[in-house]
Amino acid sequence: MLETPGGQDYLVKVENVTAGYLSVKSFSSLTKTFTPVLRDINLSLRDGERVAVIGESGSGKTTLLKVILGLLKPVKGRVLIEGLDIYSSRKAWLRAVKKLGYVPQDPFKALDPRVKIKTSLMEPLETSRYSREEVNRLIKEAVKLVGLPEEVIEYYPSSLSGGMLQRVLIARALINRPKLFLLDEPTSSLDVSTQAQIINLINKIYHNYKMGILLVTHDLAVAQYLAERVIILREGRVIEEGFFEDVILNPRHEYTRLLVKSYMMEPI
Amino acid sequence: MVLAVESKGLSIGYLDEEDRVLWVVKNVDMQVREGEIYCLVGESGCGKTTLGSSIAGVLPPYSVTRGELVIYGRRVIKDVLRSYEGVRGKLTSYIPQNPGSSLSPYMRIWDQFWRVLREQGLNEKTAKERATAILKTLSLGQGVLEHYPHELSGGMQQRVAIGLSLATGAKVLVADEPTSSVDANLKLQLMRLFKDVRDNYGVTIVLITHDILLAGKACDRIAVMYAGEIVEEGDSTSVLTRPLHPYTKLLVDVVPMLGFKKTLASIPGEPPKPGLLREGCYFYERCPFRDEVCLNHVETQVIDGRRVKCWKPLVDKTTS
Repeated sequence: MLETPGGQDYLVKVENVTAGYLSVKSFSSLTKTFTPVLRDINLSLRDGERVAVIGESGSGKTTLLKVILGLLKPVKGRVLIEGLDIYSSRKAWLRAVKKLGYVPQDPFKALDPRVKIKTSLMEPLETSRYSREEVNRLIKEAVKLVGLPEEVIEYYPSSLSGGMLQRVLIARALINRPKLFLLDEPTSSLDVSTQAQIINLINKIYHNYKMGILLVTHDLAVAQYLAERVIILREGRVIEEGFFEDVILNPRHEYTRLLVKSYMMEPI
Repeated sequence: MVLAVESKGLSIGYLDEEDRVLWVVKNVDMQVREGEIYCLVGESGCGKTTLGSSIAGVLPPYSVTRGELVIYGRRVIKDVLRSYEGVRGKLTSYIPQNPGSSLSPYMRIWDQFWRVLREQGLNEKTAKERATAILKTLSLGQGVLEHYPHELSGGMQQRVAIGLSLATGAKVLVADEPTSSVDANLKLQLMRLFKDVRDNYGVTIVLITHDILLAGKACDRIAVMYAGEIVEEGDSTSVLTRPLHPYTKLLVDVVPMLGFKKTLASIPGEPPKPGLLREGCYFYERCPFRDEVCLNHVETQVIDGRRVKCWKPLVDKTTS
């Protein structure tokens, strides 16, 4: 049986996942060793739930997103999207991945510099059979939704600022009306004033579409605005999880305590 | 009160391909007192790094200057002329954004210290003692001296870079975005380290950052920059709690703060491109408190020892 009891309730279910990368240890014998990045991770997300994964660099945050997106096969455990194991077949993966909208970390690197914004926005629609008029309409809608002027679609990425590129990436992620938004440090490379604009935008979109959000960040304060539930990741393990307020007011793990303390306003 | 750094009408620009000057820093009057941590805050493109590099003496050759910059009584910039002889690396020292890039990958940490310390006429034994003492205040052991930079973690590299700046005996340290590549929980430690360094060595630190909350925690005085100008300057607590300039107020309001979930203000639009010159206020388009007058009128006022570049600062609204 594929589904666990009640498994259908969950949009995404990550079960006992251990994943990592192979590295060549010695070049003379070309022996490869496995370095685990995620160790025995369990995570489940309901429809429309907003969860933040917090961790320092190297804690495995981005690897977790890769595993959910179907880009890195775990060595142990499985990933279910709407009850479907995405690593069971290519067909299952293609079906599942349409439900996900991914916003990558660095807006300056995430768009193909050789093509116009329009072409980049069209890409997610290629797997669905839309007519040319429908595609144009969807693109215009998406661009309007993220608050960009319509003529932007004729520009190349190099002529847009970081904040505008981030809006384009959000538009690209939501053009398929995904059920889950995967945000990888959506604001870390932006200025504070642009950061606030993007946070407000994501919240506005959430209130319109009620899609789920899986946010990966190292910034607790940003997570506070975009998520209700928080998972603290450290060295590839979940060390603490719960509702945002509970974790902040009552951190149980030493690391979380330190993290919360570093945001407090008192002078050093 | 001894002034470590003082500028009068300092403007710095860069030449573009057609030999036109893009003014990045415009008409800045700045006074950094001896022994304080002075913070330049602003968003990218506001000219904070350019201003910082003019203090450290690392302006690129294609830059153009106007006005005056004085460091410990020595005039280093006088209009187009620049002379950092005896100042760069002696009076002032620069800690770049990426600590790893400032260390030579082929030299042990000790050799890098030795290269700096032997300039000061120390012999090898006293130099070693000096290096060990500096590393100790940065909570690094003597063992670090035998390592190559790539064998150290990012945080250790950064502390070594700070240590090397201290070893020069410079009185003014310029740190460019020291926390931008550091995790949240380590930022606080790093800021504490800067405070310790200031207390132990009596140096003046010019800190460049875009994080206004961090600036408020660690610094004595803050200068908020916008479009190449210092729009507000004052002691950090009053600038953060009772901002006078509309931009400072919005800058504080857009930063997400843990603990209380306020509505994030949104500053419409984006900062002007560097090089824009006009008579009135540069913040006009984005300012919620703007007036017709602002388009061609701006004046610098001094209120409670704070300088603000706005003809109608937010005095009444913030005190009432």
